[in-house]
Order: sequence, then C-alpha cells, then structure tokens
Amino acid sequence: MSSYQISLIIQACISVISITGIFALTGLAGMFSLGQAAYMAIGSYTTFILANRLGIPFWFTAIIGIGFSALIAFIAALPTVRLRKDYFSLITIGLGQAIIALLITFSKVTNGAQGFTKIPKVKNLVWIALVITIIMVIIIRNLKYSRFGRMCIALKNDELAAKSFAINVYRLKITIYILASIIASISGILIGLQSRVLLPETFGWTASSEQEIFLFFGGTNSLTGAVVSAFSLKILPELLRNVTLFGQSMQEYRTILYCILIILVLNFRTAGLFGEYELNFNFLKKGFHKLKSKKSAKKNNGREDS
Amino acid sequence: MSEYILKTEEISKNFGGVSAVDKFSMKISEGEIQGIIGPNGAGKTTIFNLLSHIYCPDTGTVELNGVDVTAKDQITIASMGLSRTFQNTRLFTGLNVLDNVKVGLDHNGKYSIIEAFFKLPRVRREEKRIEAEAKKCLEVLELSKYEKARPSNLPYGIQRRVEIARALASNPKILMLDEPAAGLNPEEVFELIDFIRDIKKNFKLSILIIEHRMDLIMNLCDYIYVQDFGHTIAEGTPEEIQCNPAVLAAYLGEEE
Repeated sequence: MSSYQISLIIQACISVISITGIFALTGLAGMFSLGQAAYMAIGSYTTFILANRLGIPFWFTAIIGIGFSALIAFIAALPTVRLRKDYFSLITIGLGQAIIALLITFSKVTNGAQGFTKIPKVKNLVWIALVITIIMVIIIRNLKYSRFGRMCIALKNDELAAKSFAINVYRLKITIYILASIIASISGILIGLQSRVLLPETFGWTASSEQEIFLFFGGTNSLTGAVVSAFSLKILPELLRNVTLFGQSMQEYRTILYCILIILVLNFRTAGLFGEYELNFNFLKKGFHKLKSKKSAKKNNGREDS
Repeated sequence: MSEYILKTEEISKNFGGVSAVDKFSMKISEGEIQGIIGPNGAGKTTIFNLLSHIYCPDTGTVELNGVDVTAKDQITIASMGLSRTFQNTRLFTGLNVLDNVKVGLDHNGKYSIIEAFFKLPRVRREEKRIEAEAKKCLEVLELSKYEKARPSNLPYGIQRRVEIARALASNPKILMLDEPAAGLNPEEVFELIDFIRDIKKNFKLSILIIEHRMDLIMNLCDYIYVQDFGHTIAEGTPEEIQCNPAVLAAYLGEEE
C-alpha cells in the first residue's frame, strides 16, 4: 500500500475514534458539545511538549496528557452540566476557542501559529490506530448496552423523570463528559503522531462541528451509523481530490458538501442515515448453530446407516 | 421504624403571591391506599411535586419511613423508596418497554462504568439479574407481550401501565400516581382499578393517588383528602367524604 493510502486509513481511524466519544456525549447523554477538539489539543500538546522537554518517551507523557485533559474536563463540567442544553453548547464553543487562543498566546511553549514540530516518529502507526479504533468502538458499544447507556438515554429523553428514578444525572453527565474528552485527547495524540506538526487551527471549532455533523448524518441513536459516517465522510473528500469543479479540486468544497448533506439529512431523514439501526452479529451465531445442528444430524444419520 | 411510611406536617408552598399549598398534613401507613381529590388548580400536583422534592416546601416537614427528608433532594428521596408517575406519561421514548422498566432498577446496579466498558463477568451477572427482575415485574402486571415495543407505539392506557410498572420495578415503599385515569375511557378506568388492586396484592407498599374520577377514588381509597385552593377542606373515609357538605359545595356549588 502506498503511504498515501495508509495515511488515509489513519485519518479515517482518527475520525472514527473521535466519533465514539461524540456518540457517548451527544448520542447517549444528549450533550451537544461544539468544543471537543479543544480536548484533542490539550491531550496532544501536553503529551508532546512534555515528551520534548523532559526527554522521556511519549508513551509516558501520553498518560499525563490524557489525565490532564480529563482533569480540565472535570473542572469545566462541574458548573456547565447543570445548564440547559443550548447554554451548554454555547459554553463549549467558548471553551474550545479559549484553548486555541491560549495555544497561540503562549507561543514560547507551543510555538504558536507556526506549529509545534518536535514530535517523534512512530513506525506502524496504522496498526496502533486500528487497534485503538476497534477497542474504542467495542468499549462504547458495551457502554450503550449497559445500565449506564440506559440511564444516559433516559436522561437525554427526560431529565426530570430520570431524576425521579434516583439517577444522579449530574454525576452521570460529568462522567460521560470526562470519558468523551479522554477519547478526544487520544485521537488528538494520534493526529499529532500522524501529521508530526501541531497547529492551533487544526483544533478549532470547525473540527468539533465536523464531528457533530458526522454524528447527525449517521444517526445520533446509532453507533453503527456514527462509525460508518465518520469513516466515509472523512474519506469521501479525499477520493474526490482529483475531481475538479470550476477549476478547483472537489476537496475545497468539503465544507459545502457537508452542509448540503446535513441539510438533506435534517429534512428527509431526521433520525440520521441509520436511524436506530445497530449492526449485530446474532445472525452469525444463529448460522453457526444451524451448521452445528446439521452436522450433528448428519453424524447421527451416518451412524444409523452403518 | 416509624408506623407511618410517609408523614407530612403542615407543608406550604407559595408561587409569588399565590399560595398553592397551605399547611397540608397527611400520614399514610404501610399497605394503605389514600387519595387526594379536588378541582383544577387545587394544588394536588404541587403536593406531589413537594413530596418528591421537585420543589422544596417553604415551611413544614416531610418524613419518609421515620426519617426527616425535608432538606433532601429529588434523587435521594427517590433512592429512599418513593416512586411516582406523572400526569402526562413521561416514558423514555428512546428505550423499549423492557429497558424503560430496567431504568427503574439501574440506579443501584452493582457495577462501575469501567467494568461496563469491558463487559466483565460482574456486568453480565448484574445485567441478568436486572433483566430477570424487570421481566418479572412486567409479567406480574401482564405487560410481557409489549416488552420489545416502543412506548410511543402503544395505546395510552398501556403507556400508563408501563409507567406504573417502571415505578414499581425499584420496589418502592410508596407509590404516587398522578391522575392515572386521565384520558382513559370508562372501560379502561375499570381495568385500571383492578390493575391497582393487583398491585396492592402483589407488592408490599402504600399508594397515594391524585384523581378527578370519583369512581376510581371511591372504589380504591381507604382515606381521602379533599383540596380546594390549596387548603384541605375535608378528610376522611370515602363514605364520610361523600356526605361532607364542604366537599359538596366545592364540587357542586352551594345550595340555594
């Protein structure tokens, strides 16, 4: 495979990892955040700056980076989760932009708008990305079908009723918010490893809103839909790179493309492309059992014959 | 242990200048069914919201199982065994009927979120227990056949029963029903009366009902409070209430 194709796969993986966090946050708990990319920035900047300054492998500092973004998420969540949904979104935009502004202001440490480039090279990044992607999807799937998933959907549907079933909605929201930012910071670190340069504008609010668009396109209630749309919508503009329209590469029309898609989905399929459909492998299990019973039946027949 | 499951003493609530509930006192012991009746705007639902602490009372005390809970929040009260339904059904539309009932049990599930991520053995065990309990609850209330349905696809009467099932799943000490018969036709009301009698037989709890429909209240309740403009104008057994002049005046108007 060419290195271009590999980098495409890594990009798609990063997109899928971020969407799992967004799915937990918006799809399950109903918190519409437009600032998740800020946690990507916190995670990756902390990781690589510390690794560079202290001269230790970035594996160790990655843990500190993820922990630090979880801490920031906890502090940010304490007052904001009590707000109504729309105010929560506004606050998260503000938070996201504040982090970007901080990164530019402290250019001595972050190298500001020129970008932080002292990032180590990692071999076989594609396998690391794939493994993390699979783990994240499984974790969030398990979460959805656990008591926490049910309580999240309950609180998304009706917070007052959820409270009257002794669900501690604030604690649950804070937990999910921290989880989402941990996942965001993991994908942020992967972005750093892939592009080997950290630019503040990579983590601007367009990055956050792109993820929300992916989620709504795939369906807020379907993890399958979210994963499929995060993968395909990330890849699609890259595939159209060589197609030109009015003398511009189609890739330049990416934002317009996303906007058209989201308008179409909101008008004609409000629940998203996949609605509430979830891929499951029960049919494989059933098929396997059938095969087994057939085989044993054949065996029995054989015995009778002999 | 106190002899009363729920006891309030002179609780009041004002909204601006309007006194929605004025010095409401009640006590209910185990196994009893009590009712609160009154015309529209008499403060019945406000009483429920005060008892389940969606609002906090301005004055007065609330005791649940002998413990003073006046200053506690909604979540604590719910975990102490007070369960309620709402005037307009508030089922979780994103979950099917079985999952709705499971939510009633979920707050004291015995596994952490980290265990949930990796589906460790304890998660499987607990999920099995929760599923079994929820199914049993649906079975007792004869709702098993709607298990996989979405609440929004069910007839209104069934939705109400599912809501009651969800409230019962957590094994509450007191169940509060806010106008369970609203929007039901006469036939469904009679079914509901049997349904509530079944609940009393199958579960060990007290029930507090708000209702407009006299047939339901008079058939079920052991003791009734009559509210009008925030005040308790009468209380007593159904027979006493039926011939109480103050009640008749509030409901039918004064005699000339």
